[in-house]
Amino acid sequence: MIQTIESGIPGFDQLTVSELAEGGIPEKSTTLIYGPPKTGKSIFCNQFAYQGLLKQEPCLYVSTDQGLKQVQSNMMGFNWLIQSYIQNQTLYIIDGISQLSGAKLEDTNNIKSSSVGNPADMMVKVGIGTRSVYKKSNHFISILDSLNTLFAFNQEQMVIRILKAYLRRIREAGGTGLIAYTEGVTNSDTENELKSLFDNTIRLDGEYIRVESNFEDYEEVKSYESTYIITDEGVVVNGK
Amino acid sequence: MKKTHIPKLDEFLGGGIPAGSSILFCAVPGVECEAFGYQILNGVIEDGYNGFIFTNVTEPHNIIYEFNRYGWDLNKYLKEGKAFFVDGSSNFIGIPPMGKYSIDELSQIEEVVLKAIDDVSDGVGVINNISTLIDYLEDDKIIEIINKWNECARVNNTILVYIFTKWDYKPELVDAVKSTVDSVVSLTSIEERVIIGQGFMVTSASWLHPKNSMVLYFVLQPGGVKIYIPKILVTGPYNAGKSSFVELISEESVSVDRMALEKFPTTIAMDIGHVDHNGFVADIFGTPGQERFDLMLDVLAKEAVGAFILVDSSAPQTFGRAKEMINKTQSEAIPKIIVANKQDLPGAMSPEKIREAMKLDKDIPIIPTIVSENNGVEMALDTLLKILYGD
Amino acid sequence: MVIKMIPCIESGIPGFEELTRSNGGTGGIPENTATLVYGPAKTGKSIFGNQFTYQGLLSGEPCLYITTDKGLKQFETSMNEFQWPIERYLEDNSLYVIDTISDVSKGKLPKSKTVVQSYINNPTDIMVKVGSGVHYIYRNNPRFRSVIDSATTLLAYNDNMLIIRVLKAYLMRVNEAGGTPIILYTENSADRIVETMLKSLVDNIIRLDGKELVVEAMKGIGKRSSPYLITDKGIEL
Repeated sequence: MIQTIESGIPGFDQLTVSELAEGGIPEKSTTLIYGPPKTGKSIFCNQFAYQGLLKQEPCLYVSTDQGLKQVQSNMMGFNWLIQSYIQNQTLYIIDGISQLSGAKLEDTNNIKSSSVGNPADMMVKVGIGTRSVYKKSNHFISILDSLNTLFAFNQEQMVIRILKAYLRRIREAGGTGLIAYTEGVTNSDTENELKSLFDNTIRLDGEYIRVESNFEDYEEVKSYESTYIITDEGVVVNGK
Repeated sequence: MKKTHIPKLDEFLGGGIPAGSSILFCAVPGVECEAFGYQILNGVIEDGYNGFIFTNVTEPHNIIYEFNRYGWDLNKYLKEGKAFFVDGSSNFIGIPPMGKYSIDELSQIEEVVLKAIDDVSDGVGVINNISTLIDYLEDDKIIEIINKWNECARVNNTILVYIFTKWDYKPELVDAVKSTVDSVVSLTSIEERVIIGQGFMVTSASWLHPKNSMVLYFVLQPGGVKIYIPKILVTGPYNAGKSSFVELISEESVSVDRMALEKFPTTIAMDIGHVDHNGFVADIFGTPGQERFDLMLDVLAKEAVGAFILVDSSAPQTFGRAKEMINKTQSEAIPKIIVANKQDLPGAMSPEKIREAMKLDKDIPIIPTIVSENNGVEMALDTLLKILYGD
Repeated sequence: MVIKMIPCIESGIPGFEELTRSNGGTGGIPENTATLVYGPAKTGKSIFGNQFTYQGLLSGEPCLYITTDKGLKQFETSMNEFQWPIERYLEDNSLYVIDTISDVSKGKLPKSKTVVQSYINNPTDIMVKVGSGVHYIYRNNPRFRSVIDSATTLLAYNDNMLIIRVLKAYLMRVNEAGGTPIILYTENSADRIVETMLKSLVDNIIRLDGKELVVEAMKGIGKRSSPYLITDKGIEL
């Protein structure tokens, strides 16, 4: 049996049941969530992270599109209040973009500032972050939202390298990774290379959610599809 | 010779970096690297020379901020004209460049840096970093440029410090980059699932045979690069042979009574030793096996980079306790090996049987020993060191 | 069920609030979020931007207006055509204009703290002026608006990825200062990758195709659409 983590997205776990897994996100796997702009990928990531935090499961959150303040505000819109998890250090944040607004983010034990244009520094912060989170629990979630800004500030090949190093780190530490990406911000070769690096992919196109899993013991690729909507409570997957 | 002002590094380099030479700090992703460049610049300027920083990863004002965090005042040097920036980052993101020179287009990089090298004759230039250039310029072009820069540095007696992150590049490219410079310092990580330590080692130097020792370091804010002598734990259930083991592997060891150590408030006996084996140096802490000292084990495990866990191979009733101690060190993610001692006693279990009985991960090595006869001890030491430092 | 109250600001476009109303909300443009208004050429995007600007000025919300297609004079003229006189707002410094297109040698830009010259092919200079503008406005006003008319011209004159980075920095700065920015863009004027990047930079996306206004994405609500007209009073849903 493949161990899974509750996704926190209503309907998702039911959708992804198979004879090998209970439904949810397979533990210790890496998942790419992608699709056209504005289809709920960030919301899905935040929803998943919050589900873990509720269970006091640590989360390493790498934010490259939005600064910490914005992330916090976005989550507040869905009533996912993260302040207490920041305070008790269950949530570990690496903010790779606030430097661009001129605001100086004060680094703390679990809030680190870096720059999307300095991938070496981002990896250092990721290294420190994975250790910190691993010490709390070797069941942890890691979110990267999203690859877009990395592609805007670095050459495509460099982003692929960063991604590989990042996935390696998360896998080594036994974490479960969820990374967001907007379809169409790079050329199709790079996009295909990207997708091939992950165990599972989730595509949100505004109407349909399509999950493909090629993880571990699966002999062939498993896929699931359904419709979904975005409500006040986040992403909701409808029944088939 | 210019001192690097990095602890131990000057010693390894035979005093420092000869004027006009180039040095490459080559780090695997995740290991702190920039601080080395900045610390050298700061030190060389303090020694009375001039310097520049070429940056294409972050804007100058962020670097000034970083310097402040280390406790160094870059602004002062900028104002006094002792240091300047070659800003290859700001224009890239559309903010006004800062510094004596700025780069608008990639094609300018080579020329502008040559000018900068010329400007700081007998000083130091930091290039942060090479990795970012590789994708923008072709591989051959990069090698060509670095060679030109090094040539210019030789003529001007300027030291060039290159920062390089070793991403997933083709080995040929990495080798080519390494061979363009006079000396290479490899920065690597000590990992057990996560990075628990960082080490540097001089892997080549054109002016001497470098000492091939790996030194562990932290980057402190404030402070900069600081080295430390790692702690290695020797732990395990009561009477597994820990004290003897510590004695054997140490140059000199001493059994201390708690009075000598302020850290631990209860009366305990502890074995402390110091290892110097094949250029690897560490302090050894042998912990008592009784459960009431487990708190101390937690504390020590936080600061240790590795652990020997001794078990009496003939006493399977103690395996449960050994497993507990493994878990304590496991949670701090430090590399460990099991030393299956007392192999000479009747009923002693073989390593494979012990692994089965303890249900141990196949990644954890189990080395059979007879400590009382100094049998297997060196192999145990080598095995752990190999995990820590690689080959 | 939680009723999500998203603070919004008045769009200035009649019918827009009704279109974007959700349970308990007022409708309008969600405050402190970034919006892309795009569509084929000549569908009223500039008018949308101008209408939005004027509404803000009327409500006491200053506007940082970056113009790349029209110079200040032309801008003033087109505002006047719809009876949105901006002279007094230029005078009282609540309309801050960064003019990247007027030829400095020919026209005389009025000497003003809040009318600033920049250059379409120098995004760095534009960003400097944006920084000063945001700083100026933000000092006295927690709430303000900003419009870039348009991203198309910026992309035409400069390296596309540089403009994406510059727009990202612009949006970060305006957001940090509490403002609500709108970026205008002509569909298909840049390549697919750049256009997708643009859409992923913002929170809300509105498309004007000449007949229908489609809210493709907006914080707090799903896809909505309505036919619209361009009258002599501006855009009306």
